[in-house]
Amino acid sequence: MRYGTYLVPAAIVLTLGSLACKPPKTAEEIKQETQAAFNEGAQAFKDGKARTTNPYLSEKEAKENPHKMQGWYDGWDKAKADKDAADKAAAEKAAADEAARKAAAEKAAAEEAARKAAEAEKAAAFKKAAEALKTIHFDYDKSDIKEADRALLQGIADFMKAYPAAKVEIEGHCDERGTNEYNLALGNRRAAAALAYLKTLGVDEARFTTISFGKEKPVCTEAKEACWGQNRRGEFKLK
Amino acid sequence: MPRFLVRTFLCTLATLILQAQQTEVVLSASSSAKLVLGMAPPKVSGLDEAQVAAEFTAVVRRDLDETGVFAVLQERLPSDTAPAKAWKEAGAQWLLTVRLTRATTGDLQLEASALDTAAEKAVFTKPYKADRLVPLRRLAHALADDLVARLTGERGVASSRVVFVREMAPGVKELFQIDRDGANLIQLTRHGSLTLAPSVAPDGRLAYVTYKGGAPEIWGQRRRDGAHEKLYPLSGAGGMVSTPIWSPDGRRLAFVQGDRRGNSDIMILDLEAGRARRLTDGNGINTEPSWNPNGTQIAFTSDREGGPQVFLMQDDGSNLRRLTGEGQYNASPAWSPNGAMIAYVSRFEGKFDLFIYKLGEGKAYQITTGVSTSESPAWSPDERRLVFTSNRFGSAQIFTTDLSGRQVVRMTELPGCQSPKWTRGR
Repeated sequence: MRYGTYLVPAAIVLTLGSLACKPPKTAEEIKQETQAAFNEGAQAFKDGKARTTNPYLSEKEAKENPHKMQGWYDGWDKAKADKDAADKAAAEKAAADEAARKAAAEKAAAEEAARKAAEAEKAAAFKKAAEALKTIHFDYDKSDIKEADRALLQGIADFMKAYPAAKVEIEGHCDERGTNEYNLALGNRRAAAALAYLKTLGVDEARFTTISFGKEKPVCTEAKEACWGQNRRGEFKLK
Repeated sequence: MPRFLVRTFLCTLATLILQAQQTEVVLSASSSAKLVLGMAPPKVSGLDEAQVAAEFTAVVRRDLDETGVFAVLQERLPSDTAPAKAWKEAGAQWLLTVRLTRATTGDLQLEASALDTAAEKAVFTKPYKADRLVPLRRLAHALADDLVARLTGERGVASSRVVFVREMAPGVKELFQIDRDGANLIQLTRHGSLTLAPSVAPDGRLAYVTYKGGAPEIWGQRRRDGAHEKLYPLSGAGGMVSTPIWSPDGRRLAFVQGDRRGNSDIMILDLEAGRARRLTDGNGINTEPSWNPNGTQIAFTSDREGGPQVFLMQDDGSNLRRLTGEGQYNASPAWSPNGAMIAYVSRFEGKFDLFIYKLGEGKAYQITTGVSTSESPAWSPDERRLVFTSNRFGSAQIFTTDLSGRQVVRMTELPGCQSPKWTRGR
């Protein structure tokens, strides 16, 4: 009896409440209702009897906002609808074209980048190979190729063979001793000696030019043999 | 008292330093007999006295000192009472009096006269006029040259100039010109490249080599004061060209062309016809051509017999003969303006010195001595001195020497100079 005081009125309230409330619509019911409304509208179109009322507006709302009613059917314009559809299609096509173009451009850019990378790689390889163009040295007032420099010249010949498009200028230089003009002639003879040796290694001599700077472009300016030895040189420069 | 001693010591030190600076220029004095020329202070009107002293009197004095034929005596003697006698007692053989006037228009007027103090008669009188653009030192040079002409029969070289090569930056050399007394430095080329081997025709036209196009080319002037233009090769590659030298008539250029086999040959370019002809035979190095004064022979350096030696030949390549005998390295011949001597450089004890070969005697004389190297001799127009480069103060600078080698004078203090050429033509 102690619990009956609360349970009995609660049971009564719940029973009455559940009877009084309408059960909520199920999803199936909502779908059916919507389909029915749509079918009604579609049928009206087919019959050529357009609806005069907006089924999605309550009467009260339609009265308060007449503009919502008017736009429902009166504004229907087939030409405009066709044009809009055409415009939309055209816009879609343009977008598609644009996308295609973009894709093509991206592809081209990627190819260009790849080509550039390949070129850079090639240039780097060429540059690395061009490091074979080492400076050779000569004895005082001499233009004979030294024994130690033969390997360097072989390296230059290998480079020229590996890169048949490469052209090289051979520069002859001298130390500060002796007259300006005689040293210009001596530098020319040193460049010619290097050219002749490279020719014996099988490189086409037409790919070389020779030039002499005599004693006009020293790499070292002190008056001692260590310095003079550096200045008596043959340099190889890519053209 | 100690303060006085310190001051005296400092004064003495300063005097010594000043003297050291003065004697640095003139390394040794020539001792040959000279005419003593008394120089009275100039009478000036319309000009600033200090300016005249600096730009006229001092310039005349230096010009005359460097001729080697005058000794200048400057004293403030009373000029109005028996001037000649007073100067004679002071030791002057000639007395030079000068009156300088600047007119209101700015024109300069110079009246110079020289008096023989013994015979008391005029030996030289000459008026000069110059417009206001002519600097005073130009007048001073002209006066000095005329005085030398009066005494020796040949004009002096105070008005002459030296063209030379100067290094601007590593690998960049340009041509410059300077007055014979070291003033008035002017840059002649602005190629921004290696520019070498100037030669000056008698009328002042330049020829030189420049690397501005990569390979060396001969550039120069076809007309007096004309624009610098390429003279050789006119088209295509000319090979390793160097050392253009004007013939004495200014119509031909001797130059050197190196080939790809290492030979260098003397060529002659006829400027009007535009044709170049080879004189030597493609046998080794032939370079540094130098014309004799009438343009019929060429002295040059060749290593056809081993080391570089000086050879002579006709201007068609015939009659080849060796000139220098002694030494392992004889090069850079320069034929004297009168044709009797050839200056050259020779390696001597590990450095290079100037020598003169006297053609009449068939003997060579050493001019410069010392521990430094002397190179690139070129004759003064009056054949009294040689201009050359030397590294005696470190970097290569331009010096002149008399033919005894005893009076060596530094012409410029510019470092990095080479290939001087002395000319009256510019």
